Amino acid sequence: MFGTETLIVFFPSEAPLLCPFLLLLWLKRLLAMSEKGGKGASSLLSKGGLGSLRGKDDSATKSAKGRRVQFSNDGPLESGISSSSLTSLKSGGKGGKGEQIANGGKSSQSKDSHSSEHRVDQKLPENIKCLMDCEAVDILQGIQEQMVMLSRDSTIKMPISFEKGLQYAKSSSKYTNLQSVRRSLEPLAKCGLTDSEISVIGNVCPETVDEVFALLPSLKVRINVDRQVLKDSLSELAKFRQPM
Amino acid sequence: MFFHIVLERNMQLHPRYFGRNLRDNLVSKLMKDVEGTCSGRHGFVVAVTGIENIGKGLIRDGTGFVTFPVKYQCVVFRPFKGEILEAVVTMVNKMGFFAEAGPVQIFVSNHLIPDDMEFQSGDMPNYTTSDGSVKIQKDSEVRLKIIGTRVDATEIFCIGTIKDDFLGVINDPATI
Repeated sequence: MFGTETLIVFFPSEAPLLCPFLLLLWLKRLLAMSEKGGKGASSLLSKGGLGSLRGKDDSATKSAKGRRVQFSNDGPLESGISSSSLTSLKSGGKGGKGEQIANGGKSSQSKDSHSSEHRVDQKLPENIKCLMDCEAVDILQGIQEQMVMLSRDSTIKMPISFEKGLQYAKSSSKYTNLQSVRRSLEPLAKCGLTDSEISVIGNVCPETVDEVFALLPSLKVRINVDRQVLKDSLSELAKFRQPM
Repeated sequence: MFFHIVLERNMQLHPRYFGRNLRDNLVSKLMKDVEGTCSGRHGFVVAVTGIENIGKGLIRDGTGFVTFPVKYQCVVFRPFKGEILEAVVTMVNKMGFFAEAGPVQIFVSNHLIPDDMEFQSGDMPNYTTSDGSVKIQKDSEVRLKIIGTRVDATEIFCIGTIKDDFLGVINDPATI
């Protein structure tokens, strides 16, 4: 009836204190779940678990209303993944502040994460183009200039995400010449790097080849990635970088 | 990361908007409906850049509304697991710190901050290395890696890490 992750939620707070065997079993399940959820999850779980061990009065009722946090494993940088697996954890009992902060201080219900619109594991459609931040700045600034003319119509207002997106793109755009940046990254496409990997390199502007491999571990397993081509592209890119 | 994509949407238009300005009314309704929204699949729709195609309208039975299939190009912002990006710290506390990259909020837990950095409370809470050489506080710029994402109705929330190589503070506001 209940999944394994709910067992920890409904476990009576007094029982572990009375029964060592049950305590061992409970700890085993806790460890198994924390391996599943990763480091961050285990810290939250351990806090929630300790909370219920301390036998606080409302731990059982609170954990019954515990929130489900789902982390997506999908990404364009990971090729060959056809469907993602969602790792879920339930933070129970007195997770308290840690629990709230991990959820971003929001009290969204688990049903929201189930609706298809909100699932982050869905793949993007085929005809997409990755944009580097400097390219996005160009496009968004053009739209902003148009909006100045249209702003006489009071019903048209730019959303907050536009302002934040433009500000972010401007602050992270590091280059003086957009076309030259694209040209210097073209050889990387011939090496077999995906669009998204090239965009990350363009956005981050690594200084060395080792930095590229550290930030994009998926490149390490590819045989045809030529270190020399990568090095040349990075040195070309560095020429167009704006002074700090 | 920003993407430029083509999306399709069925727009319903009330008969009061019909006439010679039908297309303009449809486009402005599309922009009002879509810009600023967020979905798990596409991320934040930051701006509509153009209309590719507006199909033939279909009158709905029983009402006067007409449904038009509209294909439009837009700029979206969607974070992915494994992506490296640079964010600005907005809040620091003992559980970790919050940062912002565009419209996306990112949380970095103290478990995913290097072990040699410790939380210092005070007027300006921060994480500092033992020798005081590196500090993460409000308005610091940090390079982080996204390790998980979550979507609710209106925004995307991510979990990040700075524990790997070549991640961490880029720009300390105190030194400017």
